[in-house]
Amino acid sequence: MQKTIIPRRQFLQGCSAAIASMAGAKLTNLAFAQEDNPSDTLVVVFLRGGWDALNVVPPRDGDDRGFYEKARPNIKISNLLPLNDQFGLHPAMSPLLDLYQAGKAGIVHAVGLDYNTRSHFDAQEFIELGTPGSKSTTSGWITRHLQSNGITSILPVISTTSQPTSLLNFTPTVSLSTPEDFSQWGNDLLASQQTALRQLYTGDTLLHRAGARTLDALNIVSPLVNKEYQPSNGAFYNDDDFGRQLKTVAQMIKLDAGLRVAAVDFGGWDTHEYETDGDRGYIADLLNSLASGLANFYLDLDSGYTQRLSVVVISEFGRRLVQNESYGTDHGHGSVMFTLGGSVNGGQVFGNWPGLNNDQLYDHADLAVTTDYRQVMSELLSKRLGNSDIESVFPGFSGSYNPLGIFR
Amino acid sequence: MHKTLEQLYADHIAANPYNSNDDAYWDWYSKPAHELVDATILRGVYSRKQLTELLADFWHNHFNVYFWQDDGVPLLVSYNRDVLRKHMLGNFRQMLEAVASHPSMLYYLNQNNSSDAGPNENFARELFELHTLGAENYLGVQNPNTVEKDANGIAIGYVDNDVYEAARCLTGWRVDDNLGGWEEGIGISGNFIYYKPWHDRFNKIVLGKYIEADQPDLKDGRDVLDLLANHPGTARHIARKLCSRFIADLPPESVIQAAANTFTEFRDAPDQLKRVMETILLSDEFKQSWGNKIKRPMEAAFSVMRALNSDFTRVPSGISWMIGLMGQPIFERRSPDGYADTKEAWANSMSILYRWNISVGIAENWLSNDDQGHTIQTDVLNQTPADVRTATALADFWIQRLLGRNMADADRAAVIGVMAQQYTAEEQLPEDHVRYVLPAMIEVILMSPDFQWK
Repeated sequence: MQKTIIPRRQFLQGCSAAIASMAGAKLTNLAFAQEDNPSDTLVVVFLRGGWDALNVVPPRDGDDRGFYEKARPNIKISNLLPLNDQFGLHPAMSPLLDLYQAGKAGIVHAVGLDYNTRSHFDAQEFIELGTPGSKSTTSGWITRHLQSNGITSILPVISTTSQPTSLLNFTPTVSLSTPEDFSQWGNDLLASQQTALRQLYTGDTLLHRAGARTLDALNIVSPLVNKEYQPSNGAFYNDDDFGRQLKTVAQMIKLDAGLRVAAVDFGGWDTHEYETDGDRGYIADLLNSLASGLANFYLDLDSGYTQRLSVVVISEFGRRLVQNESYGTDHGHGSVMFTLGGSVNGGQVFGNWPGLNNDQLYDHADLAVTTDYRQVMSELLSKRLGNSDIESVFPGFSGSYNPLGIFR
Repeated sequence: MHKTLEQLYADHIAANPYNSNDDAYWDWYSKPAHELVDATILRGVYSRKQLTELLADFWHNHFNVYFWQDDGVPLLVSYNRDVLRKHMLGNFRQMLEAVASHPSMLYYLNQNNSSDAGPNENFARELFELHTLGAENYLGVQNPNTVEKDANGIAIGYVDNDVYEAARCLTGWRVDDNLGGWEEGIGISGNFIYYKPWHDRFNKIVLGKYIEADQPDLKDGRDVLDLLANHPGTARHIARKLCSRFIADLPPESVIQAAANTFTEFRDAPDQLKRVMETILLSDEFKQSWGNKIKRPMEAAFSVMRALNSDFTRVPSGISWMIGLMGQPIFERRSPDGYADTKEAWANSMSILYRWNISVGIAENWLSNDDQGHTIQTDVLNQTPADVRTATALADFWIQRLLGRNMADADRAAVIGVMAQQYTAEEQLPEDHVRYVLPAMIEVILMSPDFQWK
């Protein structure tokens, strides 16, 4: 994957005068019933590209440390933050260490997609569809969760980039990167246009209903547009893509409009070359952005929202144990997941560690998968999202469900 | 983007003059493909051959290659021009080989790394699942000997084993891209080559057909393409997809079968796909198809600009940015299946909101990048007859002009209401009122569901 150049800022600069000249129409804030919220708001952070789990949570002692250092002479991470006797955390992840020690962040190692593929999109698609090996599934796993659980709120789901496969065919999803992006253009005739749109989108087709839903969502979001957002507890969001996305999610959660799921994407993890520079470098910057973003997000929401918050961090796979010739790592298998929230049984590294000796590796090359990612998601569904119908969400898996104990 | 495949490879990949740590490197690397995006917008708005543009979009999605796929971004220009546009009214079998042997596809689906030592099945799998037979002819993981055969001994569908065997047949199909300089016998022309040392020389069985060991160069792979292009399952898969695009999400069986029959009957003809299109577009089913589908984001954006006679010479970046926010960033579908072709995929809030916003952006002239000379101008007042000056007359004029048909009474009343504001529907409106409010009324018509159907 290459870096994507989106001319957004350039465009916004070009248009800023025009946008600034739009007089925001006065909208009556739509009244929505304060819902009796029975379950957590789920935030799924998907790290696109396959993150290098073995440099995120490396072994810090024993034989496995030896195998690790031997396999990665130029890209090994040295000054680890101790998590337990066995593992340490990449030093760039230090913002999350306090939450880990406070039991609010948990880690699952050697976890992932239990299917033979090293393809990014196969792995992402299988994980997000929730049906490893089958791409003909017509809905994402989160879609099936929401459908089997019933949805009543106006703004149940947001995705901060385009709609991910995990939400495939869930039409009430509102994709909004920032409240500013999700705003309707118009001059001081906008209110009159919106009145007309209400009429035009009165109807029973899919398109009519979606248009009406868009007007509803605009009503909810519009009070936030161009308002300086003040995070709680002195939290501070980095001015990067991930920070902006989390800030948007926090704003939406605090609206109390019944947000059930937020999907957040964070790309750039496909580290085939020049991955590290000692303990600094490319992946350290990414990890710091991730950890700092999550820690501040938690701090911001630790104002009455964290008991109803569950964050899951996942990537499509981990990377090869042995570094390649360009000081990077190629596509691998087993990965590591993080969970964050007021009801996480944190402060522990969960999962069965398979070891890094050659005969313990998947295909003699990669960290093995000993915990199916669906174990983590199923525990989340049943303990935190009020959904005991695991079979509907992950067809064929419910018989294998065996909770790790990572959620309360 | 006028450059040949070899020139693109040489200028923008092999000899990129910039340092790869600088943005200038990536700008130069992606420049041809960005120009292709701009050309796609220009043609979508201005070209007189709109069916050509619709087909280029269809086939790019059918044989999808992601803009930012590793290694070959600048080559997308050649893929679009030398493969898709060249063959899309020609012969499917020829198109299939052009796709399978183009560096863009070889890179995108990892065929470029597929050798006998460890065949990469990525391309072979999509060749069956997406490009030819379709998932509807996938019989899953089973013994290939148990699959029913037709009169010629060809399997009626495919199993995993066929994918593995086809991947073996295609080993050695790669790009002449020895950038590191350490691969013996490989140059850096950027062209497709057959690299014999990587080819699996032993015998194979694909779809029940025995493929001998040690066939001439390329013959194994070409046998696979022959088998797939001539398979009745492929005829139906291609026919169904084309009918889904041009008629309805779920098209009538009658027109699918007619198109599939044409596909099969003219499978050796140089204008096979043109004939298939004629079958579809001259069908009764096509004539009755209006309103079955929602415009795709690109179509929606282009249709606004065409409807308002918008004028631009260099494409403002806001156009592709907004199409991206509608959910169809141009050529940026990451997975090999192409953008979805159903109403459900496009009827989400963000997609609808930016259909509305681009109507405003165009009609109010807000999308120019003036500092870069990328202007886009639209003058709706000048396109309105001077004697049409009541709210009702203005609404009726522009409803007909933009939709070519009447709106429902209540919808028409809503449009009139926007135009009239504090005036009555039938009185002559002051000129300054018309000048100010007319764009807003036109925007409402463009935002209506009526303008989204096709």
